[in-house]
Amino acid sequence: MVSAALRSVERPFEAIAPHSVPRRTEIELRDVSLSYSAGKEGSKTVLSQLNLKVAAGEFVVVLGETGCGKSTLLRLILGQEFPTDGAIEVDGKPVTSIDARCGYVPQKYSLFPDRTVLGNVMYGPENAECRLLARLRPSFFAYRRKLRKEARAYLVRMGLRPQDMDKYPHQLSGGMQQRVAIAQALLMHPPVLLLDEAFSALDPSTRASVQEQLRGVWLESKPTVVFVTHNTAEALLLGTRLILLGRHREERAGETNLVLDMEIPASPLPLGLRMNSREFQELLEHVKELAYKSSSLCMDDAIADPIVEEGNLA
Amino acid sequence: MAQAFRVSDLTGIQVRPARLWTHSLSWILFVMGIALYVHFSIVRHRENPEDRVIPSATQLVQGLKASVLEPAEEDDPLDPGASLFQQVRHSMIWKDTASSARRFFIALLLLVPAMLIGLHMAVFPYAGAFFLRFVLFFDKIVALSLLPILFIVFGIDEWSKIMLMVIGVAPTLMLDAYNIAGGVPREQVVKAFTLKSTNLDVAYRIVLKQVLPQLINSVRLNLKPLALFLFAGEMIASTDGLAYRIAIMRRHMGMDIIIPYLLWVALLLFSLDALLRFTNRRLHPWYQPR
Repeated sequence: MVSAALRSVERPFEAIAPHSVPRRTEIELRDVSLSYSAGKEGSKTVLSQLNLKVAAGEFVVVLGETGCGKSTLLRLILGQEFPTDGAIEVDGKPVTSIDARCGYVPQKYSLFPDRTVLGNVMYGPENAECRLLARLRPSFFAYRRKLRKEARAYLVRMGLRPQDMDKYPHQLSGGMQQRVAIAQALLMHPPVLLLDEAFSALDPSTRASVQEQLRGVWLESKPTVVFVTHNTAEALLLGTRLILLGRHREERAGETNLVLDMEIPASPLPLGLRMNSREFQELLEHVKELAYKSSSLCMDDAIADPIVEEGNLA
Repeated sequence: MAQAFRVSDLTGIQVRPARLWTHSLSWILFVMGIALYVHFSIVRHRENPEDRVIPSATQLVQGLKASVLEPAEEDDPLDPGASLFQQVRHSMIWKDTASSARRFFIALLLLVPAMLIGLHMAVFPYAGAFFLRFVLFFDKIVALSLLPILFIVFGIDEWSKIMLMVIGVAPTLMLDAYNIAGGVPREQVVKAFTLKSTNLDVAYRIVLKQVLPQLINSVRLNLKPLALFLFAGEMIASTDGLAYRIAIMRRHMGMDIIIPYLLWVALLLFSLDALLRFTNRRLHPWYQPR
């Protein structure tokens, strides 16, 4: 599998056969391209001819150097931006605007500062269940009590203590905020969960702990996850499938910048132990090599940003 | 342990003054101002015991007493046996304060929609496209230059003065609300939509709730411009109000009334500002001013 992936890196801008998935397709991108107007320089292509099918329950991690379109890919799936060419479907329906089909955890500003932890987590389900006038009915209070219990249970599972429930986001550490943000998104039971470098601002130990929580929640309820990260080790630890994007080169018009699409071998080991295993370290070295090779191939005149942050492995 | 004070600390950036020092320093300018006033008052009264330009403490107390306990010249005198409450109730300062406060608070109320327009300009792109250029242009019109037009349109009664205040401050508040609401991170808006919010939910339950403390601060900063326009309107065309009285007293060189009025106005604005600050803190315990 690794050698197949290596072969694909040797031909990084040739279209890669879509990943074969036996399950129901949750996210589908067909020939998606996105270009921006770049003033006098004409236009700048960020994504080109991208074809991707993500099955329900997959945990897809997206790696790539800075500016290769990882976050853009996420924004396209989310409906925050629209492709200049191609089509995107989520849960079988075309994406036309941002809606509750996708849960979203950004890197920063993930919580509403004016709400407590519980208020943040309960905001979505309350919205989904009761519009403004429905909140005057007595049944709303019963619903709210039930929801509060469920929200507390989610938060406890994400590692929050009961005394943290009534705190405001500014009173929490970065790691706790991200845990709440994940609980906030998960309580909506979205078919798709999108995380945009959600752990990059966390210190290594907090990061490892939040990774563990996320992995646990994913194993339990199996939402479809698309996780954008810079960290190769994190990508290989968490994901079931790795997507590597390269920077688009204008002279290779019409070619995709999807460099690699590979399955990550499953492991029965817990994350902490898995990271120290020989197989994992080998895989990590291989992917680092692929990533480095792809970024070298993508380099124009400038030096490409390194993808793999050697000192920042969780 | 606290370090002993050194003279070089006065120009230091990294020093942390003790609480006693902070309090003492904050009163020095007040004391100096009073001392200068007393000095010049004594000097002038030595030359002319009847001097009215810098009234003495006795003159000021008399002026204050007249303002607080006696009706205005244009009003009927009170019965000699009137109670203290009745005296204050019919006093010059009470009547003027009530008139000015009525205008002030009506204008303040009319500024709420202005802030909401600013919020909508930031949140809804079409509203922004519709209003922004016009508000930017309107903001540059000197409000006082509109006064003759306002007198023609609204007459010289209450509404011309109220509209002067509204027109003078509304564009600034709109643009402030626009900038503040525009500063809400895009991630919050996106997140809200993924949590099944409607457009109105995002505008009022996410953006407005988050920016409300900053909007209240914006109102606090605009209290003085608001009072300025009120005073301009009252000084030009009015039959009552704090600024009207100051303008009348200027003709009679009545500094013994003008100074207490001036301090009273400052105290009122200071109290209103403190009240808004207190309300903001109580209503928004989560707010972390930068």
